[in-house]
Amino acid sequence: MIRIENLHKSFGDLEVIKGIDLHVRPGEVVCIIGPSGSGKSTVLRCINRLEQPTSGRIIVDGHDVTDPKTNMNLVRAEATMVFQQFNLFPHMTVLHNVTLGPVKVRGMDSAQAEKLGLELLAKVGLAEKAHNYPEQLSGGQKQRVAIARALALQPKVILFDEPTSALDPELVGEVLEVMKQLAREGMTMVVVTHEMGFAKEVADRVIFIDGGRIQEEGAPETFFANPQNPRLRDFLGKVIAH
Amino acid sequence: MAFQFEPSVVLETFPMLLRGLKYTVAITIGGLAVGFVLGAIAGLMKISRNGFFRNLAGIYIETIRGTPMLVQAMFLYYGVPMASGVRIPPLVAGIIVIAVNSGAYIAEIVRGAIQSINPGQMEAGRSIGLTRTQTMRYIIWPQAFRRMIPPLGNQFIISLKDTSLLMVIGVGELLRTGQEIVAVNFRAFEVYLAVGVVYLVMTLGIARALRALERHLRVVPGK
Ligand SMILES: Nc1ncnc2c1ncn2[C@@H]1O[C@H](COP(=O)(O)OP(=O)(O)OP(=O)(O)O)[C@@H](O)[C@H]1O
Ligand SMILES: [Mg+2]
Repeated sequence: MIRIENLHKSFGDLEVIKGIDLHVRPGEVVCIIGPSGSGKSTVLRCINRLEQPTSGRIIVDGHDVTDPKTNMNLVRAEATMVFQQFNLFPHMTVLHNVTLGPVKVRGMDSAQAEKLGLELLAKVGLAEKAHNYPEQLSGGQKQRVAIARALALQPKVILFDEPTSALDPELVGEVLEVMKQLAREGMTMVVVTHEMGFAKEVADRVIFIDGGRIQEEGAPETFFANPQNPRLRDFLGKVIAH
Repeated sequence: MAFQFEPSVVLETFPMLLRGLKYTVAITIGGLAVGFVLGAIAGLMKISRNGFFRNLAGIYIETIRGTPMLVQAMFLYYGVPMASGVRIPPLVAGIIVIAVNSGAYIAEIVRGAIQSINPGQMEAGRSIGLTRTQTMRYIIWPQAFRRMIPPLGNQFIISLKDTSLLMVIGVGELLRTGQEIVAVNFRAFEVYLAVGVVYLVMTLGIARALRALERHLRVVPGK
């Protein structure tokens, strides 16, 4: 589904990603963990080319994202993103947030899109908020709308960049529940997260990035129980101490 | 002879000012309508990825904002025909001056409003597969437009008042009409007082209308 080969990314003189290879299979849930500033978001943002990779190759659903000739708009709908800050469209109702993509990108007629939108809002537990505006929602509700907006595109994979990091602790659970359900339904997901519990429970594979490189990867059972890399051990020690 | 204020002269002046008022209103509305289009184009060019467009918009904005409108008006009306050989009717020249002048200020309003929108909005639009243009149109512009209303209202008022400068190129607007009345009755105090009142009523009216529009455009009523 996603194949990243020898990805490098620099901002000016600062080399942030120093050669990353990653292969995500259909239906797989890959969690990326790592310290702040290690380049997790940058990897994710290279996948849908919100950032332009400096070198390397990224193939998403058969499309070469690193080829300038690729029509990125279609690829972005197939590999859509859920942001830490939700980034809902504040001037549109919740339902309109969800239907915009299907109508403008997928060319769905609006009646059909509304039906789909209401179904997806029901799925994330927010059917009754369809006609509210984002500012009338709690953080957890906003993020669930953002997930419904992503699902409305019927994407092949969803990229999550710390979807619960901006939430009050008591609202994290409701968002993780929705994500767990997606994982059970077989959605391909790449999730940057600090929620180790979620990674342990849901991930097929966990990846530790530090200093712009993958330092360790593996199935969650071995990854958390028996970390090899000293930096990972250190990182897990700090996270769990929190 | 001691000065004697004649309130009745003020009242008599108002209907005589109507002729000039028509020009003032026409030039303000015509000039600002064109000015908004110019300003929106220049504002978008100013933030475009194309350096040529950015520079072109920059030169326009800096030139207009860095020179007095009076000079712009005299240059266009008296200067340009010397070079082109084509005279421009005063009314048309007036509308062009207000349009070009307000356009430079509106460009900065448009640019500022668009840049004030969180970059996450563009990223979110792009992430659901919208093109840059679609994201601009459906996501950024509607939010930016709401933020433009107060400074646009301000510019509306400034441009309305600026039309009075057009008397120097012979546009028969409000102030010029007042001047013509004074030339006949010599009641400068009363006539210019009346002229001032008319401007004030219009600017206060615009300010109120804009506050109402702002309330109307608020996303969630009462918030
Ligand atoms: N647009 C940019 N311009 C310059 N430097 C950037 C840019 N985006 C990210 N960086 C730098 O790249 C490095 C990696 O950033 P990135 O956001 O990928 O880290 P992260 O692992 O997601 O961290 P966090 O956990 O804090 O979100 C950081 O040092 C950051 O300052
Ligand atoms: Mg990040």
